[in-house]
Amino acid sequence: MMVGPTPYPAASLRATKRGERRRKLFAAAGLLPLILWQFIFFVVPVLLLLVISFWRTKSYRMVPDFTFANYLAVFSNGAMWRALALSVQTAAFVTVVCALLAFPIAYFIAKKAGPLKGLLLVAVIAPFWISIVMRVAAWRLLLGENGVINQALVSTGLVDHPVSFLLYSPVATSIGLIYAYLPLYVLPLYASIDAIEDNWIAAAKDLNAGPFRAFWEVTLPLSLPGLIVGAAFCFIFGLGEFVTPALLGGGKQLMVSQIIQDQFQRRLDWPSGAAIAIVLLLIVFALLALSMKWFRKASGEKL
Amino acid sequence: MSTRVSTASATGRRTLLGLYSTLIYLFLYLPIAVIVLFAFDAKPIPGLPLTELTTSWFGEMLQDQKLVGSLLTSLRLATMSALLSTLLAMPAAMVLAWLPIRFKSLVMSMVLGPVVLPQLVLGLGLVILMRAAPGTVGEPAIILAHTTITSSYATLILYSRFLGFRRSYIEAAMNLGANELTVFREIVLPLMRPALISVFLLAFTDAFGEFVVAWFVAGFTETLPISIWTSLRQVISPKVYALSSLIIVVTLALSLMSQLWVIRQTRLASKVRYA
Repeated sequence: MMVGPTPYPAASLRATKRGERRRKLFAAAGLLPLILWQFIFFVVPVLLLLVISFWRTKSYRMVPDFTFANYLAVFSNGAMWRALALSVQTAAFVTVVCALLAFPIAYFIAKKAGPLKGLLLVAVIAPFWISIVMRVAAWRLLLGENGVINQALVSTGLVDHPVSFLLYSPVATSIGLIYAYLPLYVLPLYASIDAIEDNWIAAAKDLNAGPFRAFWEVTLPLSLPGLIVGAAFCFIFGLGEFVTPALLGGGKQLMVSQIIQDQFQRRLDWPSGAAIAIVLLLIVFALLALSMKWFRKASGEKL
Repeated sequence: MSTRVSTASATGRRTLLGLYSTLIYLFLYLPIAVIVLFAFDAKPIPGLPLTELTTSWFGEMLQDQKLVGSLLTSLRLATMSALLSTLLAMPAAMVLAWLPIRFKSLVMSMVLGPVVLPQLVLGLGLVILMRAAPGTVGEPAIILAHTTITSSYATLILYSRFLGFRRSYIEAAMNLGANELTVFREIVLPLMRPALISVFLLAFTDAFGEFVVAWFVAGFTETLPISIWTSLRQVISPKVYALSSLIIVVTLALSLMSQLWVIRQTRLASKVRYA
């Protein structure tokens, strides 16, 4: 038989080509539904917002146009700047407090909890899955003028009258947000700290570093990626949060999200609401890009 | 001598850390406990001191057509969203994790965008989109909106699971002559079942509790978070606390169980690997 070396590679080449085509087909079939879905219900809505942010409103109706008037109005409006400042301030405060609260607990779960590790971690995350409106309702019960905290304060004699600044104030918003985002901060921080080998800390101590120096020069730098991811989530979510300030913040000092909602639902001025939303979105994307850069740097330095 | 001092201070630090952690858990669970507690308060406007306890609010809650109706609506819509997002996420995550594709980072950022997008912004965008199809406002729009959010989370979680999947099993099966469909049915699906169930549950919980986006596109549909929001604007009835406390207990139990189950499954899998 004249079986040369040619038929086999040709067949195999055909087979791999067919395999390649099959693989491409599988890839397309698997990805396409999700991509189409996210395009229609995520990309298109954002683009629509962008488009109408250049339109104008005439007697409560949107008129197609190409004007920067909405953006100019946003930046020349004092109330808008105050709302933006309040949002940034609140988000920053919440992020810092969450980081400070989350670090010891993440450290405890990762390094000191022993066999209870899994359970304790899940127990931190679990409240996050309860509907935000229910969590906010709980804080209204706690913080209200006749709420649990005030009644505890009065009955212990710490204050004579219930204190009124607890609910319906930026303080209440901050407490609600810290409560909401703490689990979100613990999760990435735990992952970072859990990945630190005990040997590395022990090595630092062998080299005569005290516990504080070992923490400062080994544990903290190595948990930086987790700190950054947690901070990014906290700050970004805090900036755009709506339910918590709307129900706990009282409505005297508005956050950006409340102004956007007000423009859309009460003033029916969609174009200017869209312009503010786009500004918020740009800030979010800039922060995201920045934190990703920091994250890469922090995780790169680890190696 | 010095070692004893240092162990003593280490023990001290450890106790302090344990104490601190207890306080954090108290902070996390106190608000939830307060809701559950007030569900049993006999006064029509709940508050301290708790002089008389009752379980009657639970009965009255079941009589409240509007509340029960919104609960059923939420359960129905969240089931749909969870199902849809798991179905969308699973094949996509598999492709992203296993096959080389072009523009991967673009695809990833498009798929994961809804996670970081402020929900208010997504809600408004969808409101504008719905103007083109006014018939979808209400239940279909809520399902669409929640699926958009939850399929992002689902893809993210499943992607990491598929990355850790032992693909040598698949190669072995294919060497034995199995085609893709058989491999998927006999190997991928059974091994991924825990991950798929936990993703479904997470998507369900998220869709069940989501408020902002649903509120914008709901029209006259009332989901449970929407009806709680409405009642928060007035004097809130203890019936709402009764229902909320039931849901909180179920949510906590479900998330604890599903997560612990996943942890155990991974531990079993790693044991098999080392054995």
